[in-house]
Amino acid sequence: MTKTRRRRVAAAGRYAFLTLWAVIVVFPLYWIVSTSFKPSDQWFSWPPVYFPSPPTLDNYRDVWIGATSVAEGGQTALSLQTPFLALRNSLILAFGATALAVLYGSVIAYGVSRYRLLSETRMFQLLMLRMVPPIVIVAPLSLYFSYLGLLDSMFGLGVMYFLTSLPYAVWMTKSFIDEVPREVEQAAEILGASRWRTVFEVVLPLIRSGLVATFMFILILNWSEYLLSLILSKTNIVTLPVELSKFEGSTEGRLFGRQAALSVGITFPLIIIGLFIRKHLARGFSFGMVRR
Amino acid sequence: MARIELVNLRKTYGSVLAVRDLNCVIEDGEFVVFVGPSGCGKTTTLRLIAGFEEPDRGEIRIDGRVVNDLEPRDRGLGMVFQSHALFPHKTVAQNIEFGLRMKKVPRDERARRVREVAEMVRLTPLLNKLPGACSGGESQRVALARTLVTNPSTFLLDEPLSSLDAKLRRELRAECDRLHQELKKTFIFVTHDQEEAMTLADRIVVMRDGDIEQVGSPMEIYAEPVSDFVADFFGSPSMNLVSGEIVADNGAPRFRSPHFSLALPPEAVGEAPTGSVTLGIRPEHVRVQREVGAAADLTLPVRLVEPLGKDTLLYFDIGAERPFIAVTEGLALAELDAGERVGLTLTRDRLVLFAADGKRVTRHPVGARQ
Repeated sequence: MTKTRRRRVAAAGRYAFLTLWAVIVVFPLYWIVSTSFKPSDQWFSWPPVYFPSPPTLDNYRDVWIGATSVAEGGQTALSLQTPFLALRNSLILAFGATALAVLYGSVIAYGVSRYRLLSETRMFQLLMLRMVPPIVIVAPLSLYFSYLGLLDSMFGLGVMYFLTSLPYAVWMTKSFIDEVPREVEQAAEILGASRWRTVFEVVLPLIRSGLVATFMFILILNWSEYLLSLILSKTNIVTLPVELSKFEGSTEGRLFGRQAALSVGITFPLIIIGLFIRKHLARGFSFGMVRR
Repeated sequence: MARIELVNLRKTYGSVLAVRDLNCVIEDGEFVVFVGPSGCGKTTTLRLIAGFEEPDRGEIRIDGRVVNDLEPRDRGLGMVFQSHALFPHKTVAQNIEFGLRMKKVPRDERARRVREVAEMVRLTPLLNKLPGACSGGESQRVALARTLVTNPSTFLLDEPLSSLDAKLRRELRAECDRLHQELKKTFIFVTHDQEEAMTLADRIVVMRDGDIEQVGSPMEIYAEPVSDFVADFFGSPSMNLVSGEIVADNGAPRFRSPHFSLALPPEAVGEAPTGSVTLGIRPEHVRVQREVGAAADLTLPVRLVEPLGKDTLLYFDIGAERPFIAVTEGLALAELDAGERVGLTLTRDRLVLFAADGKRVTRHPVGARQ
């Protein structure tokens, strides 16, 4: 075999493998999306229906707006809290806690990066907090929360989301701030800029992409957070992941189409945001890997 | 107007002494170059003056006023950094304008002054570019312009040319010189490059281990180094240094080393003790004769000939760690073959002797002319 030929065969093999891998990874997503458009008789059918025919929006209507036609034996499914309320809760909690965490985290990170506010050990301990599996702390936490009257409240859950995101926020933003040369800040300083002015005119614009990437990363975590939300809320504050999990309960029957419609609704906001800020994401996540 | 005084300035980082009780006065309008090998404390000194570091003790005075507690921006100084430190997200014009904006200069006035300064350092065609699109020399000129426009009393320059190639370095050196002459401001320039120091400075401050080794005009530093350190640091190729001892030879002092021995004129030794010394002579003060047998101090085979065009360098092996070097003008000796023996004569009144502690023992280079 010639060298060129060998190279081509190797490339073909590589692509074949990657294609197979991509199919394995993407198929479940495809199945969710396709199921969300299937009429109820195609949810379970065998052989499986790959393309819904005819595609229907019933699932979306039923799950998001309210049930008009209830599937056999499943009339309790939609008397639960409506997903719209859960969507609202998720939006407020995830965006609010993430924004606060990134804001507060970057302030701490600036202090660590420029004034050695925390030692290396403290910084590591901060990250260690996140290494505790959440299931370990939820039981004592729910006890605390019930004493404090924070159980099943937006504020209580928000505080937990904020606190659990903070270590990531500090660590990620610190790495971006570290990348900004001190001399650039000092140049601004000696040219007459105050400390705040320097941060706003020089540091923030330079780490903008990093902040966006950090925000997105933490938003994804908070948006899909399940355990804390499940334990620390009861009926008042239900988030989308908890709402979705209700479909796994046995009493409602298997409403796969609606479950899929809800799943799509949970996933899409993140994908859309990701598309809008993809320029920043690419830059943010590759920050510091190339010498500027 | 800016006269800068450093009084007993000391700075330590942990257990490392960066600047050791430094005393120095920089007169208004002077071009002073701090020079020394890396880690000698020159950049720390500059950063102390700028206000980016706080001294452990000692005072920094600008025009008689102690500025230790003033923020960098309140000291009326301008600084150009080694890395240029441009704002990468602002255009060249915005970079230059920054200092004026911080000082709340009105918009039209800002635009006018940016144009003026850009003209001055030939940046006008680049005003709308981002720093990322500028070459090294252009970035350096932007950094210079950004400082110029704020009209500081003193320019602090921290190895501003070290990231540039040799040709650009020469060009920008000339630029610095021109600016100094036009602006008549105080310039404090830090470099590890002795050539830069020699060509730019009114006065050179040679630093070593956080301390000042010698202060003087370039010619003083070159011709009358106070120590073997300074002698070795300045000049290219640097001074030939041969260690040996002074012995009395029939009452007359004689320098003797494992490599060669040399009768010294009595006045050369001055108050030098007999004992171990280092003898120094600059390569251009070694005379080379092709006719062997003439009255030469030593006769050696040439090891390497380096024709440079204007000069020719001859390398000799005297058994020491470093080669002994002689410089001859022109290319007359360029075709000498390696191994050919020539006679070398050391110009007596240019000999310098250093004691074992490195300090010069002769008051002046022997018989130095005033």
